[in-house]
Amino acid sequence: MSLEDFLTSSADFEPREEGAADFPSRREQLVARFVVPLLILLFCVGAYYLSTQFDRVPPILKRGIQPSDFPQLVIGLIGFLTIWLALTQKVGKLEVLTSTVWGTLLALIGFLLVAEIDLFLGLGLFAFTLALMWGERRLWALVLVGLIIPVAVFFLFDGIFEVRFPRGPLTNLWYQ
Amino acid sequence: MEAVFSGLMALADPSLLVLLVAATLGGVMVGALPGLNATTGVALLLPFTITMEPIAAIAILTTIYCAATFAGAITAILINTPGTSASATTCLDGYPLAQRGEAGRALGMAAVSSTIGGIVSVLCLMAAAPLMARAAYNFAPPEYFALTVFGLSMLATIGDGSALKNLIAGAFGVLLATVGIDLLTSIERFTFGMNELSEGIPFVPVMIGVFGISELLVQASNLHIKREPVKMKAIRLPSREDYKRVWRTILRSSGIGTFIGILPAEGATVASMIGYNEAKRWSKHPEEFGKGSLEGVAGSEAANNSATGGAMVPTLALGIPGSPTAAVILAGLMVHGLRPGPTMFTEQADFVFAIFWAMLLVNVLFFFVGLWGAKLFARITLIPINILWPIVFTFSIVGAYALEQSMLDVWIAVGAGILGFFMRRYGFSVVPLTIGLILGGMLETRLGQSMVMLDEQWWLMLARPLSLFFFILTALALFGPYLWGRLFTQRAPIKSTGE
Repeated sequence: MSLEDFLTSSADFEPREEGAADFPSRREQLVARFVVPLLILLFCVGAYYLSTQFDRVPPILKRGIQPSDFPQLVIGLIGFLTIWLALTQKVGKLEVLTSTVWGTLLALIGFLLVAEIDLFLGLGLFAFTLALMWGERRLWALVLVGLIIPVAVFFLFDGIFEVRFPRGPLTNLWYQ
Repeated sequence: MEAVFSGLMALADPSLLVLLVAATLGGVMVGALPGLNATTGVALLLPFTITMEPIAAIAILTTIYCAATFAGAITAILINTPGTSASATTCLDGYPLAQRGEAGRALGMAAVSSTIGGIVSVLCLMAAAPLMARAAYNFAPPEYFALTVFGLSMLATIGDGSALKNLIAGAFGVLLATVGIDLLTSIERFTFGMNELSEGIPFVPVMIGVFGISELLVQASNLHIKREPVKMKAIRLPSREDYKRVWRTILRSSGIGTFIGILPAEGATVASMIGYNEAKRWSKHPEEFGKGSLEGVAGSEAANNSATGGAMVPTLALGIPGSPTAAVILAGLMVHGLRPGPTMFTEQADFVFAIFWAMLLVNVLFFFVGLWGAKLFARITLIPINILWPIVFTFSIVGAYALEQSMLDVWIAVGAGILGFFMRRYGFSVVPLTIGLILGGMLETRLGQSMVMLDEQWWLMLARPLSLFFFILTALALFGPYLWGRLFTQRAPIKSTGE
């Protein structure tokens, strides 16, 4: 029996349905049961280390608690609860992430990068890509979400709410 | 009494009334659209209210809260998809009624019971919130600390996820609240040298991210779902016979919903479930439940709408959110520089009563909007999500940016959205994270003040009766369900297997 078989043979796991393509493999169940708590614990270790680097105030100026005390208390609580969770949790059925979800995630990251050049270029491109990726093929709908709505939102916020957007190739057309 | 009238006069401004009518329509639209709910709607619209007067801004947010909570029933009845999670139990009887050609009667009953539930809860809010605020006037930091701990412990019971995961998410929110300059010592924590983070992680982008952008990713996996509304001839109000049959249910569910709403962190979803179950338990025709019972619709809808008023009691009187949406409204109050708590009832009583009156007004408004506009709103639900969500995303990002006009907030919103999506995927509710983020600062400040006050002897908090009371409530909230379950299991008769 492999380690994976041993770990997933627990009665805590929902049995995988025969031929059910939308349910995850044992590997994904393993991720849910152990990798997620492990990631949380790693985060706690990192956060705890960072909290040890905070400046400390001299005892005479200390008002109640040191700046690192409260975060460390909370980190300790998260760590304790996470270990408890890993030991006791039952993993239910998880839907497999579709390619559309992964594509949307990638598009979000792409949006952040393009938004650094021009926020509205990023918004227009993202909205257009998202609609296309999600199955929209009508030209008017793509123009609506990718061009008309971002432009309308820009003028709404710029004109009525007096919000100044970061300069970029497109926004400069209006600001200059 | 003077504040009651001056609050009413503040609402007499015609432009504000027009805004409230528009907000009611917007709230009903938000609630009717599957995927968008009251919390997401309020979070997305919060940045639009920043430039408004505080009364107008908070009145609009509470209006959207009440209207969206009601509107979830429209899609629950017409397309068997609850517009908000609080309307999930309305599907059970509303949709069967619609299928047999009585959609109008079901919507009429939902509108009447929601309106009555909402009005009852606002009247309770008007009576209870000032009393609670007066009681809280004598709270010292240890009492506030214990109360906040109790509020956070209630996170264990929200949603349908595990209590442990809710507590981890809540604690993570509290940890996020420690980012920035420590208020007691002025020392920077977790800022990584970024000046933008010195005031802490901003609430609004996080909320837009975890409620709006994470939902976009959830919707990406629901593209295959097709929605078709049932045919509806006309909406008619319930008959006199219907009223005779359901009035007790409406009043009972209104009481239950208001009480559940007052409990910290519990919201309309829990209220509707308990309201529905109690309606079934007390009904003379429990066999009709699940097959198209008007009592089922009334029990669920009166309870979820009455929770809105109840949830505002601890939010305004103590600064502890009574529901996820109330947490976003609390963030809105803070953004406007208002500090909810006992002093608000003495120093800004006009403001508080203006909010109460706005909530009362919206409960009447959505009755008419719900009855006359249901056919239209049923069509809105058919807007393809591949057009709707790119538009929602555009508004989310611009809303996140607009508050501080900082690109860091855009990154925070998208980061919170991706985090929220994976949290939800692995069973961690995002609601505790936001409530933890809001209450974290208060928790640490009160702890620090208590330590100063008690000369660093924290255990003296247990010697103070009120603090002890809240700590006992905390222990009950955390361990009560477990102990109750153990007790119940032990007393259950052991059946013989015959072997």
